[in-house]
Amino acid sequence: MSDLDKAIEQLRHCRPIPEVQVRELCLKAREILIEEGNVVHVDAPVTICGDIHGQFHDLMELFRVGGDVPETSYLFMGDFVDRGFYSLESFLLLLCLKVRYPDRITLIRGNHESRQITTVYGFYDECLRKYGSANVWRYCCEVFDHLALAALVTGAATSLEPTPADWVDTAVATDPSPGAELELEILNADGQILSRYQRPQQDGTDSESLAPCAPSSVGHSGPPGSGAAGSGAATQQGGAIFCVHGGLSPLIDSIDKIRLLDRKQEVPHEGAMCDLLWSDPDDIDGWGLSPRGAGFLFGGDIVKCFNYRNDISLIARAHQLVMEGFKEMFDSRIVTVWSAPNYCYRCGNVAAILELGEDGSNAGFAPRSNGDVGRKSDRGRMGPGRRYRVFEAAPQVARGMPAKKPAADYFL
Amino acid sequence: MSTPRGSDIPNLNTFRSSHPGRGRGRKGGFAASEQGTEAQDQVVQRTDQDASVSRMNAVALGYLDDQFAKFFTPGPVPKKYPIINRGTYVRTTAIDMLVRRFLMTHCSQKKQIISLGAGSDTRYFRLVAENPSLPLVYHELDFAANTASKISTLKRNPPLLKALQGHVKDADDIAFSSDGTRLASPTYNIHPVDLRALVQSSQTPQPLSLPNLSPDIPTLVLSECCLIYLSPSAADSVLSALTRSLVPSPTPLSLILYEPIRPFDAFGKVMVANLASRGIHMQTLEKYASLSAQTTRLQTAGFAGGQGAVDVDFAFEQWIDAKERERISRCEMLDELEEWRLLARHYCVAWGWRNGKQEYGDVFSRAWDDVKDQNED
Repeated sequence: MSDLDKAIEQLRHCRPIPEVQVRELCLKAREILIEEGNVVHVDAPVTICGDIHGQFHDLMELFRVGGDVPETSYLFMGDFVDRGFYSLESFLLLLCLKVRYPDRITLIRGNHESRQITTVYGFYDECLRKYGSANVWRYCCEVFDHLALAALVTGAATSLEPTPADWVDTAVATDPSPGAELELEILNADGQILSRYQRPQQDGTDSESLAPCAPSSVGHSGPPGSGAAGSGAATQQGGAIFCVHGGLSPLIDSIDKIRLLDRKQEVPHEGAMCDLLWSDPDDIDGWGLSPRGAGFLFGGDIVKCFNYRNDISLIARAHQLVMEGFKEMFDSRIVTVWSAPNYCYRCGNVAAILELGEDGSNAGFAPRSNGDVGRKSDRGRMGPGRRYRVFEAAPQVARGMPAKKPAADYFL
Repeated sequence: MSTPRGSDIPNLNTFRSSHPGRGRGRKGGFAASEQGTEAQDQVVQRTDQDASVSRMNAVALGYLDDQFAKFFTPGPVPKKYPIINRGTYVRTTAIDMLVRRFLMTHCSQKKQIISLGAGSDTRYFRLVAENPSLPLVYHELDFAANTASKISTLKRNPPLLKALQGHVKDADDIAFSSDGTRLASPTYNIHPVDLRALVQSSQTPQPLSLPNLSPDIPTLVLSECCLIYLSPSAADSVLSALTRSLVPSPTPLSLILYEPIRPFDAFGKVMVANLASRGIHMQTLEKYASLSAQTTRLQTAGFAGGQGAVDVDFAFEQWIDAKERERISRCEMLDELEEWRLLARHYCVAWGWRNGKQEYGDVFSRAWDDVKDQNED
């Protein structure tokens, strides 16, 4: 058993590894991460996860529900640390897995992977408490500076293979109609089916009146087709899935512009890099000021336009607590995935992970709707089939003795 | 979606370190039940120190301006998260707003405030430091353990004494009981009272004596997370003692409640379970679970002149102007917006009043009629 495997084993039991080993691990991780672009390319199948926030036992539950590494390939969209009691163990385990199986796990940066935020929200204090010095926190922060800013998943299937599982509620059980594509499936932690949606059949009477990038959409630099519309016409049936912790930036209208950023630094207070990690989608038109004090709010028109220009069929992002674990917006053009159940041991929410299948069937897909040959439809690329697995907080028996930390705060 | 079961929730008691005051808590008042043991009472009493810690955090970061907060937090102050600091700010600011409107209406009219489970609250000192000639009689009621600690802090810190003396005018009028648990003066009184005794007093011929409490000047009663720890019937009895015997009609009387609400949704269920594991039981929470249940309660209790209720999220968005909200958002970067809204929607400020005799000039209606109310639930 290699030292790395031993470290993984130890961390899986929620026991921190010695400081010298952390230092070594962080150096190796940086060597791997520095080779990754700002936008990492990831092949489907992959399971996409949102915020973890140091909830170690819930991360173990996530692996139980979603499958272990390396059998399952994972993409974590940041916010590994802060708030929970085990940021250190959670992040180091993910980092060990990254070093051990670099092609099976992708880590991108969240707004909490920052020196400033971790000193306010707990990771710094946790390192100090567990090691007696800030060295480990420093090593981790240097790793944070090397994390990619976004990921692009390609090769995802547009429809799901139906899960041969039981329905939780047989009264609502439906079998897919013949020929219909299964677009979305929601499973519980035991793999039972909660609900299922088929992709609506296109009837060929698409409205052509709504241009995806209407000139009115704020922050857009030109009508469709005037610029490089995406990184070349993708050959896959569905477009790519763009994954980022927060969301879009008014300074970024193409994915190529993300590639030009100098990411190896502390998260700045403003600018494109900051926005990618801090912004939120909202029911507005165009751009809005974020009440968080960093990043922006962006509306459905912005998403539609960005996806069209970049040949993206879905944006997957994290950053916002959603009580149901995931939330799709803007006609399923963007989804928020949240993977920290009962967030802060207080919020009562469930968590979710998103599985994207591999497009194995390749050729022979039903043609797109009438009049849509040779150009993108108003909808843009067909979205991927999406399987959400929803799970609750790990049972208390799994938690062992919690670290000494103040209990969840209330105003009393 | 289903919500986490109680058994999934960590036993937060195990997070409590050995030193007192670590748990978050209310400002004092009651144990879990009328038959509460001494230990249960202590859980509640001990949390007062933590309330001062929250206030000190909010003051140190510039959310609140309170020159007296520091005297109630000796030693190092543990850090609080930004949403807690914002919550402390909204709670204090919202109640201050209602209190100030009351005091400023017919501003030369003599008024009275009774603060239930006041603990180490600094409101009296802030008010009279600002205006030493305020025609106000202030009463604080709490467990003797808490009043003793407050009086000893008061005696040790000249700025607190100076504010008190500036308001009382004649220092000879300030009397401390020999055991150090009671302070009596014409304008500021600390009563070592277990409110459960107040309930008994309403059923016995001999009323509990609260020195210097006037039955005939317009009176505002404050309950910041206090009545909620009594059983619903005991909480109602306390209100009845206040409205019928201590400050009987036709004297104008009002009540401001600050309490958790909405225990039945996912967040609320976890809140109830987490607090229960710390020995804290909010007994009236289920009965007064919503804004409308709170206003109905106030009406039933005799505050028929008018009632209102808002949750803390609403208070922050609607009662605090944009410029001030911007100042607050600059105090700290608040990353936990969704969590803030969730938390803030589970606390309410509710208020109700009776105007009393005409000669009092409809003091509460004038003060509060145009306070923005939340019309949803």
